[in-house]
Amino acid sequence: MSAESLILFFIVGAFLVGIALLFSSIVPPTSTNPQKAEAYECGIPTEGLTWLQFNVGYYLFAIIFLIFDVETVFIFPWAVVMKEAGIAGFIEIVIFFFVLGLGLLYAWKKGALKWE
Amino acid sequence: MAFNIYDFTSFTQSIDEALYEWLPPFWALIVEMTIIGLVFLIGYAIIGLFLVYAERKVCAFMQNRVGPNRVGPYGIFQTIADFIKLLMKELVYIKNSDKLLFNIAPFIVIIASFMAIAAIPFAKGLHAIDFDIGIMYVIAVTSLGVVGVLLAGWSSNNKYSLIGAMRSGAQIISYELSVGLSLLTIIVLAGTMQFSEVVELQSSGWFIFKGHIPACIAFVIFLIASTAETNRGPFDLAEAESELTAGFHTEYSGIKFAFFFLAEYMNMFIVASIAATVFLGGWMPFHIGSWEGFNYVMDFIPPLFWYFGKTAFIIWLMMWFKWTFPRLRIDQLLNLEWKYLLPINLVNILIMAFIVLMGWHF
Amino acid sequence: MTSNQFMFLLFSAVIVIFSILTVTSRRILRAATFLLFVLVSTAGLYFLLKYNYLAAIQLTLYAGGIVVLIIFSILLTSHISEKLPTAGLLKKWPAALVALVGAALCIVVILQYNFPGSVVDTEVVNVRDIGNSLISYGEKGYALPFEVISVLLLAALIGAIVLAKKRKD
Repeated sequence: MSAESLILFFIVGAFLVGIALLFSSIVPPTSTNPQKAEAYECGIPTEGLTWLQFNVGYYLFAIIFLIFDVETVFIFPWAVVMKEAGIAGFIEIVIFFFVLGLGLLYAWKKGALKWE
Repeated sequence: MAFNIYDFTSFTQSIDEALYEWLPPFWALIVEMTIIGLVFLIGYAIIGLFLVYAERKVCAFMQNRVGPNRVGPYGIFQTIADFIKLLMKELVYIKNSDKLLFNIAPFIVIIASFMAIAAIPFAKGLHAIDFDIGIMYVIAVTSLGVVGVLLAGWSSNNKYSLIGAMRSGAQIISYELSVGLSLLTIIVLAGTMQFSEVVELQSSGWFIFKGHIPACIAFVIFLIASTAETNRGPFDLAEAESELTAGFHTEYSGIKFAFFFLAEYMNMFIVASIAATVFLGGWMPFHIGSWEGFNYVMDFIPPLFWYFGKTAFIIWLMMWFKWTFPRLRIDQLLNLEWKYLLPINLVNILIMAFIVLMGWHF
Repeated sequence: MTSNQFMFLLFSAVIVIFSILTVTSRRILRAATFLLFVLVSTAGLYFLLKYNYLAAIQLTLYAGGIVVLIIFSILLTSHISEKLPTAGLLKKWPAALVALVGAALCIVVILQYNFPGSVVDTEVVNVRDIGNSLISYGEKGYALPFEVISVLLLAALIGAIVLAKKRKD
């Protein structure tokens, strides 16, 4: 049942956007004007390329995020059984967090968490 | 238990059985799906329109103004009028923009928020999907929305849009971690991720009281992180009007802009309902341990009232934040997440695990 | 046709179509978007198998994490607005040949194997079971791999930071 429901919600969401876009592209009156298709930069004509090279900082944060995301994914099953697991589960997660804490500390000391 | 007097399970089940009795299985499935789809579609639209109205009224209240008051009594039809106006606006295409991605972006943000709503329990027996991975599913689906934001900013061929989208992306992915980890704190206490079980377990007291100190810390972190994840003020630097015009949706016009706007408010609704469900008991009435008489009286207030009351309270808190705190800079924003919230969260999970181990929770 | 079969065909069709679009698209960001659809429908297949935990991982890590990382790394490179050049005929023919031979080999191998029809009902894997085996250290326990993963992640984190920092200098 769950997969059907997911497809259903996907389709209904797409339907909501699709029908409104279709309506909006047919019904409202349109006018063409070369000025209209210009990029909006507060009235000043746009200069140079838009798609410039970006700061490496964004990439660095994305990769640190991904590593911590993988970690969270592994903690979810642990969290569900923590109550029954007792002392063994607690010790395992302390070791797990200790190693990851080292990683965070390394990133911190190396200045990877600093925005430049 | 008396809170079962408002149980929707038998109601939804009887509809299901009646349909399968009258129709062949395939058509029964189709009809059932259509009903569910329509109910959620209408609910989604009404909640979205109401939230936009509420935002304007709360904002007016904070700034000692009246707010919308012309269309209908107290201006309640204002957002419907706005919606019709936006629907009748021409869709403008920008020179050199990537038209395909420009059109796909609003689909992605709306579908991500719509799929997340499927898992939220509104009352006993009133939810579309009840997974054993409920909380994780909502986190997973809402994380898709960021791709829509990035595509919107990139395909617009506008420098402001691109910068806004990059800032948004970095912010959303960073704060997603804190949202997940603060919910994990409560999962440790609850021992389940299924929303229906999470709510049932709170019949003897909400988790924020049961888990006392670590649960309260997790609640505060969740509020901060979810406000940031939904790109709302004071974390709205991605659409900082004074420097980036409107951020990633600068070039969007008419109904397409409306969808980004709607998705933002629906995401706020989703995080508020998760906060209400996980920390404040969802549709579960306010119960105090063994006060039988008190609990019995509370059970007569319908669960939908409890659910929407708690959610509205959290939404109101988030609106209050927006009009109280000044906007952060991007380095302050990333510092707050990586140097404060994340370490606090990790330690907080360990504290919660220790408390669960020693049995010091209620 | 049962609804399960229908959904399987739907997801597979989406995966096949968008995989082809991903590799044939001339604009790199469009390719990343098509890849997103492939990854999401793969998650749909897992949901179909009632393997919800893996599906959620697929959505969070691949669709919500890797795709964002790919988009960020595309924006990190210069000349992203240009369309990729079309490969010449000299490159096209050998590539097509290799692809065809590879596909033929796979198809032959798959067709030759006699798949026994499954009579077992789909087994629902609970998160609780996964958690229990993840932290138990006895037989069939995965406590050691669980801890080793954290070391692996630490190594990945350090490697990523070293590479990114080196690039900046």
